[in-house]
Amino acid sequence: MAALTRIPPPDEPSAALAAVVALRRLADRLERAAVARAIQEGWTWAQVAEALGVTRQAAHKRHAGRRG
Amino acid sequence: MKLTAKLSRPIRDVGTIKRLLTGAEAEAHAQGESLAGAEHLLLAALELPDGTARRAFERVGAAPDDLRSAIATQHAEALRAIGIEPVSDELLDAELGTGAPAGTGPLRTGASAQTAFRAAVDLAKADGPSPLLGAHVVAAVAQIEHGTAARTLSGMGIDRDALATAAREELALRRT
Repeated sequence: MAALTRIPPPDEPSAALAAVVALRRLADRLERAAVARAIQEGWTWAQVAEALGVTRQAAHKRHAGRRG
Repeated sequence: MKLTAKLSRPIRDVGTIKRLLTGAEAEAHAQGESLAGAEHLLLAALELPDGTARRAFERVGAAPDDLRSAIATQHAEALRAIGIEPVSDELLDAELGTGAPAGTGPLRTGASAQTAFRAAVDLAKADGPSPLLGAHVVAAVAQIEHGTAARTLSGMGIDRDALATAAREELALRRT
């Protein structure tokens, strides 16, 4: 992924906001995939949480609930 | 009887509401997102058996089946606009493995989906009252000015006002 190279001009806030939304979506997808892979490979929830900079409870609630 | 009349509308719509909300959540989940947006609600509306949402799209010459990929395209274009070449969804899945299996958690709809859903229900109430139909959701989402749903429709070459009119025309047909 290329580094951020430009930000839309000030008269196009909607483009910049849409980029924020797209980045959050990408971050969301990446987080879910990365956490799933880490757990598969034997990481503990505590380790995952530490890597994400959140509490173990937060990581578990966000990701473990959907794993059934 | 008054009590029956008050209950009959919500009971009649329960199936539709369930399809819309679980459908929206499933669509969001399939795209690896944790919250459903108005764009996902619109996808769910296009799958409703009443068919009015699909027909509203067809009325303005848009292909309902193109919406899903148009959403992903919109996000990719938004990233390109700031110089980021987006990682493809397929690559993400292949490199890291897909996420958890589909929904065992509670329904998670975001603000745009909640607002659009409430607006659709209000439209149905004002419409007669009418049962909640896909075209009510289309009309509600077409009114959203900013955000992913609006940009996606625009990216598909759809005029939102024309789509809203088309939705109302489909609803009018149901009343005749």
